[in-house]
Amino acid sequence: MSADVGAEAAWPPKSPQSGQGEPIVWYPCKYAPVELLAGFGAECRPVDFEADTFEDADRLAHPNLCGFGKSLIAFALKPEVRALVLTSCCDVMRRVYDVLSAEGCLDFLWIVDLPHLTGPRERLRMRRELERLAKGWRAYSGREFDVGRAIASFAPPLERQDERVTLLGAHGPASLYELTEAAISLPVENLTCTGGRRIAAPPVHLAQDARNKACPEHCETDLPESPEPLEAFIDWYADALLDQTPCMRMADIGGREGQVGAPGQRGVVYHTMKFCDYYGFEYLTTHGDAPVPMLKVETDGTRQSVGQLRTRLEAFDETLVGMNSARNVPKGDGPVYVMGVDSGSTSTDAVIVDGEGNVVASQILPTGAKATRSARMVMDMVMKKAGLAADDLTLTVATGYGRDSIPDADTQITEITCHARGARVLAPDVRTIIDIGGQDSKVIKLDEDGAVENFVMNDKCAAGTGRFLEMMANTMEMDLDRFCTEGLKWKHEVKISSMCTVFAESEVVSLVADDTPVPDIIHGLDRSVGIKVSSLSKRVKGEPPYLMTGGVAKNAGVVAAIEEVFEEPIQTSDESQLCGALGAALLGLESLG
Amino acid sequence: MNALDYCIPTRPDITHYWLIKAFQVKRAWTRAFPDKWMHPSALLAQNLALDTVTSALEDPENSVFTSIFMPNEIFHSLGLKPLIAEAVADFIAGAHAELGFTIYAEDQGVPQTYCSFHKVLLGATMAEVFGVSPLIANCSVACDANNITFRMLANRFGVEHVYIDVPGEYDEEGCFYVAEQLREMAEAAQDIYHRPLDEKVLKEKVARSQRTLDNLTRSLRLRVGRYIKNNMGLEMQHGLCFHTLLGEPECERLSRLMIRDYLNAEPFDGVNVVWSSTTPFFCIPLQRLLDVNTDQQLIASDMCFDQVSFTGWNHTADEPYLAMAERLIRDSYNGPGIRRVDRMAEICERAQADGAVCFCHWGCKETMGVSQLMVRELESAGYPTIVIDGDGCDRGNFPGGQAATRLGAFLEMLHAKKDARDAEAFEQELEEALEGVADEMGTGDVR
Repeated sequence: MSADVGAEAAWPPKSPQSGQGEPIVWYPCKYAPVELLAGFGAECRPVDFEADTFEDADRLAHPNLCGFGKSLIAFALKPEVRALVLTSCCDVMRRVYDVLSAEGCLDFLWIVDLPHLTGPRERLRMRRELERLAKGWRAYSGREFDVGRAIASFAPPLERQDERVTLLGAHGPASLYELTEAAISLPVENLTCTGGRRIAAPPVHLAQDARNKACPEHCETDLPESPEPLEAFIDWYADALLDQTPCMRMADIGGREGQVGAPGQRGVVYHTMKFCDYYGFEYLTTHGDAPVPMLKVETDGTRQSVGQLRTRLEAFDETLVGMNSARNVPKGDGPVYVMGVDSGSTSTDAVIVDGEGNVVASQILPTGAKATRSARMVMDMVMKKAGLAADDLTLTVATGYGRDSIPDADTQITEITCHARGARVLAPDVRTIIDIGGQDSKVIKLDEDGAVENFVMNDKCAAGTGRFLEMMANTMEMDLDRFCTEGLKWKHEVKISSMCTVFAESEVVSLVADDTPVPDIIHGLDRSVGIKVSSLSKRVKGEPPYLMTGGVAKNAGVVAAIEEVFEEPIQTSDESQLCGALGAALLGLESLG
Repeated sequence: MNALDYCIPTRPDITHYWLIKAFQVKRAWTRAFPDKWMHPSALLAQNLALDTVTSALEDPENSVFTSIFMPNEIFHSLGLKPLIAEAVADFIAGAHAELGFTIYAEDQGVPQTYCSFHKVLLGATMAEVFGVSPLIANCSVACDANNITFRMLANRFGVEHVYIDVPGEYDEEGCFYVAEQLREMAEAAQDIYHRPLDEKVLKEKVARSQRTLDNLTRSLRLRVGRYIKNNMGLEMQHGLCFHTLLGEPECERLSRLMIRDYLNAEPFDGVNVVWSSTTPFFCIPLQRLLDVNTDQQLIASDMCFDQVSFTGWNHTADEPYLAMAERLIRDSYNGPGIRRVDRMAEICERAQADGAVCFCHWGCKETMGVSQLMVRELESAGYPTIVIDGDGCDRGNFPGGQAATRLGAFLEMLHAKKDARDAEAFEQELEEALEGVADEMGTGDVR
């Protein structure tokens, strides 16, 4: 066992193997001293790898680390990755270093101990850290420092002023950036913790000093002796690194204040990552009085939530720039019929409205395993009910998770915007919509005109969704219809303290084993959904009147429990399951030229 | 949800009143009706832990809001009471009141995956059930949550905030770096509380701290083969005392009493387990397995031994700031994960443990990240190790049933290994005895 393996653990690193050449130096953090390494001729690249599986990280560390840290472990284990420079920027990065150091899988592994403060003492410490790295890399590579190469590697620290949306917060994986770019109509800039690397341009005297040092006979003799180029560079560079816009792990984060509401910025997509502590807190303190609209998205650092993320991002774009795609469709001369189709995880719904916005026909079908087939079937059935053929439809608008799978749809609008529009018909005075479907739950706050003011959705976790209730009904071996009403007969309050589906199931099993009356258990579960939804509602500052939509609106026990928790009446409608499809049809109708 | 939880958003004063009352009653109760089974040192630890948190909450104007890893000798020298954030959360959990604060914090936007000690604390302070002190002081040891919670509270309540940046590796330059920060913190505290610091008093306290930690180190070998009557709650209370009260006479007395108690303790022939990280003292299924159990006991945890030095001190109390800085940098919860693993191995070796538990508290990436390395290294050193995921503060996040099954099976495995070792030792002893008899009788093999 090692006596004290720390930052020097990789020391002495192995020299580049003969014939392999100098490796690319990978780095994840914006404080990584890449220009210093460039001065030694190293090619440095940021890590934007997204692992398909976290098997190695789970085996070597733990599943409950942030996705970026786990991807980094997977990346470093690739045989072609040979050099990695980390910083002690957070708990996970320090542990990534520990794990990789123990694995011994890299030729050159280094961690820069980054101070949390940026005063004179810390700058001195940073210089020492850079000197240590320079010494380490020189010994490893056998190369000497050339200040010209270092200076040439600097990218100009330009700040954008154009109209754009900023991706801010925790490390934004490449897929999130690409998704944001695709969903948002405006240009997107990446200022997440790994994306906003802006280091001041080096001063001219660094190059001059180096030249003077190199050729004293050609220079004026009365100049003071120039310092060693590496020493002079590090003296300046330590400050430049620490003077970047601070990330959230720095003690003084005053320099981040201008990040939201910067000139030209139209909106902010704020990314938080599960098990990354820092950025959730910045969102918490900034979104309340943000001068531009902010959308919070949380990921686990994988591509798995792409569908739900796209809905959120497109809905955000709709609030920023409107629904351009649905506009300018000619009305034509004949009667107008617009169909809205909502492809959800549990049901696929369709509504046809006429030119006056009156509902002509509607249909609900279980989605089943094939979203396209269900959509086709529901469209055929609703057209049959309305006595219309496909050619009679002026416009078909798709919404819901499966909106991409709806055949022959003319346009797509997210279910957020559609629900808001549909709700204005079902309950004209509504200010907050609580929509609980099979796969997700969301709360949509409307302004006085019924437009989306803010919205929030649950994350990947099933807690508080229809799926959660279905799983609990299965655990209690009860059919869903009975489950929906049995909770209303409760006598004693039972506390289901866990929000996690897995833990809640474990609690239910224990309660059943203790002979707790079934209605009391179900009421406890209903209340836990109410508490989860209340938490979402508070995040968007929800206010009455409330309307509940989605399949779970038919669960009388949950509706009653939400009323208990909110201490407010919750409106429901027999048509609430059609809210999204109705909204899609009406938005389509309103978009006709 | 209980009645107190309902009051959190609307009547925090009521929640405050009843929580303080609960802590006061518990303090009075343990003083008046001490548990007869406990060692005197355990009774003292229990009383000290209850008093240090309750009295600081009773007197916020003379307290300093700080984290468990901060050296507190400076505050004690100024007559101030350190109010340890993690301890407040633990006490709230002890009063079965953590759920309401967890929900309140998450409602305000605190991430669900945040450390639940900090989440409960933030819930309690954001709801203004508890206020903060005129000074908030914390250090970068041991985790990211320290960097967030205290800064946020200082901004929210507009109070002074001192932050101590601690390098991961020890060297003299780093030691001076931290010492200078501690000295500046002492100056800030003197200004804020309008009282002077007597450096002579500080030196006495630092000297006492080193003696106390050295006593604690000595106590490790004394635990071998003895029934220390421990439980998970007591282990946390000991940990609290050896951080909050380090340098105080009662704390040194506690360390001395422990030595006396262990010297006089009953013999123990069961399985000894060393614990890494916090203990879920409220988790009944786990308590049934480990608390005051004559078959298997929690012999030590690294929460009590993070500050000790097995190799002596570079700086003595004559240089109090450097001595505190040295302790802080060398803390096993600071720096590289292997340091923490090595500390666990040393504890296991000195206490002759049969196995170790690495408890991954919810949101503690420091422990989670090092857990498999700990398993690998400790097992290669001969100490079977199990990783248990759970929550040391939020019982709603840790039902414990599955963890108890795993820990139970692990303990059964340790018993089996111990029985095998004992049987082997017995055979060896018998062999030697028979050889001795043969030699004595000159009869050759008598088996």
